[in-house]
Amino acid sequence: MNFAVSTRQGRPAASEVLRRLPEYLTIWVPLLLSAAHLIAFSLWTVWISFTPSTLVPVSGWVGLRNYSAVAASRNWQIAFDNLLLFGSAFVLLSLAAGLILAILLDQRIRGENVLRSVFLYPLAVSFVVTGTVWSWLLNPGLGIEKLVHDLGWTSFRFDWLIDRDMAIWTIVIAAIWQSSGFAMALFLAGLRSVDSDLIKAAQIDGAGPVRIYRRVILPTLWPITITVIVIQLQFAISTFDLVRALTNGGPGIATQLPALVVYDLMFQRSLLGRGAAAAVLMLLILLAVLLPYAAWRYIQRRRTNHA
Amino acid sequence: MPITTTRRRLLAGSAAALALPAFVRAQGAVKPRLTVISQWSAGSDGAAITALGKKFEEKGGVWQHSPVPGFTTEMMNKLRAQIIAGDPPACSQLKGPEIAAWSKIAPTVDLDALVAAAGYEKVVAPDLAKLHKPAGKWIALPLQIYSTNMLFLSKRAMDKAKADKPPVTWADFNALAEKMKAGGVPYPVANGGTRPDDGQKFEAALAGISPVVYRAAIMNLDEKALKAPEIKAAFAQVRKLADWMDPNVGAQHFSTNLKRFVDGDMGMMIMGGWAQGVLRNAGFKFEDFTIAPGPSDNSKPVFLLNADAFIFWQRKEADLQAGQTLMAQLVMDPAIQTMYSQITGSIPVRTDVDLSGNGWSDGQRTTAAALKDAIASNQAVLSLAHNMAQENGMTAAMIDVITEFVKNKTIKPEQAATRLAEAVESAR
Repeated sequence: MNFAVSTRQGRPAASEVLRRLPEYLTIWVPLLLSAAHLIAFSLWTVWISFTPSTLVPVSGWVGLRNYSAVAASRNWQIAFDNLLLFGSAFVLLSLAAGLILAILLDQRIRGENVLRSVFLYPLAVSFVVTGTVWSWLLNPGLGIEKLVHDLGWTSFRFDWLIDRDMAIWTIVIAAIWQSSGFAMALFLAGLRSVDSDLIKAAQIDGAGPVRIYRRVILPTLWPITITVIVIQLQFAISTFDLVRALTNGGPGIATQLPALVVYDLMFQRSLLGRGAAAAVLMLLILLAVLLPYAAWRYIQRRRTNHA
Repeated sequence: MPITTTRRRLLAGSAAALALPAFVRAQGAVKPRLTVISQWSAGSDGAAITALGKKFEEKGGVWQHSPVPGFTTEMMNKLRAQIIAGDPPACSQLKGPEIAAWSKIAPTVDLDALVAAAGYEKVVAPDLAKLHKPAGKWIALPLQIYSTNMLFLSKRAMDKAKADKPPVTWADFNALAEKMKAGGVPYPVANGGTRPDDGQKFEAALAGISPVVYRAAIMNLDEKALKAPEIKAAFAQVRKLADWMDPNVGAQHFSTNLKRFVDGDMGMMIMGGWAQGVLRNAGFKFEDFTIAPGPSDNSKPVFLLNADAFIFWQRKEADLQAGQTLMAQLVMDPAIQTMYSQITGSIPVRTDVDLSGNGWSDGQRTTAAALKDAIASNQAVLSLAHNMAQENGMTAAMIDVITEFVKNKTIKPEQAATRLAEAVESAR
């Protein structure tokens, strides 16, 4: 009833607000709630990281002691080295795999839709499933190595899963399998949005397909590339379920990653303060990736606005 | 018309039901009620606690069990949340030194009078009893015991090695492993590769070499004992075990390879008594394997204790308090312990329970006899790998070193011994 009355009285501003109220409610209430959650819990975690909390949160102040204890622990050092290796290898390789798949699919081939679904499908599988399946495939006594042995090539060796120096690469393999389809989808969209006049112009000028890709198409993809890198990097930094199912940090503690260390400290060792400190360190690593990205986006936007 | 009748009956019925508790109270008795949290929801563990609940109800109690399936840590998260909210369960699963740690964050029930009335203290292993009365008073009650260092021998692997006697010392064990290898058993040692598995190998080695050093170094964290030559010797023995294992085990659960163990493809398994239940559930027969106490260099059995327990949290409600009393009495009752252990494959906490009956297996009898002998010679010690010797934080720091040593063959035993001492220092 109120709706009708206010419209008839001709107060466009108020009625406009009323009419859009459901929209505002659906957007802003969840947004504010989740922002409050995010910020409140992040601040709470930061606070806990400065307290001597163990089994339960307690107040008190221990300064940076939790941070120095985490940074000095072997687990964290191994986790941090692994993150550098895993993060860069995974991002670069999934980028490359996604780009190659996208270019191949872009050739207007038959069955493109089927293939696209096939390559995207791993994304629909949960990381725990991916990790478990790959842990069987990569187990030398059960999976690929055994298959090749049974086929007759008995000197074949592929035992990265139980080799502590190579085990981190098994996580790279599984992660690429899981998410290169995602990179492919974004790249394919980018490839398809390239202005066909540009390509035709290049063709008229006598450029071959390789040259067209290198000089015309790929340079237009770099905003997408940066998006993919940022999304994959934040995935790499927060990887937990995949490594937990695949190697569980093993052999020994060779494939620890920061998220595993946080979980281990908080819930297995009941050291809430140290776990919170490790979580804050993870947040700082994430910010180191996201802040430059945000700055870049800001500069981009200002540039386009000026132009 | 029939509807009206039903409704009237229903009304009368619910009125009666409502009046019933009041009636009971009028009789002067509070109906005992118990809120319980545990991780036991499925398999033999779930069956055992359900049976315990049935007994509780038979005694007129109201049993309110909320299982939190999954890892023990998830059960602990629920417990933590309830304690912080000021609403702890009347009773919850908790074990080892965690009982002492958790008892500092919320008030617990003094069970001394009940324990004395049941004469329980005399029939519990002394080291075990200590864990359940951290400040001198009983606040928790052990429920069942497993040994983490039982030796399972594959019948077919023994045949291949032409051996029939279980090894007694580590030297016997090593000789038998060599014989198995020579007799065509590819992997004389069967095991999983999880963290507790690796921890069990180390604790079995050290406690078998010297229970005295084990007690000093692992249970009491004595600095001198942590640098004793026995620690190095234990790591050297663990290296031998690791070399006899299938390297492909990776991080697999021990149960993954049980078939290969029974087939004689793997020979000996150092595992807790629970493996017997797992073997039986997997359809293997008692003839397929034999169970013996883990190797001990002084030939007297060494028993690495792992015991599940219930801790009792203070509540003001009269019915919950009555429930706690009833529960404590039940847990200490030899008949209940018999029922429980026969379902799960463990052995009773009480050392005076007769295991000659039909419901018990040879493995359980061997385990119970080993416990008795080990207590008599002061060789019943607390398991590190299963969080009985130290709090979780310290345990994890030590297992880190052990699991890395098992998986990384370039680490020398002396290096591992130094790292273990360092890990203890930094986790203190």
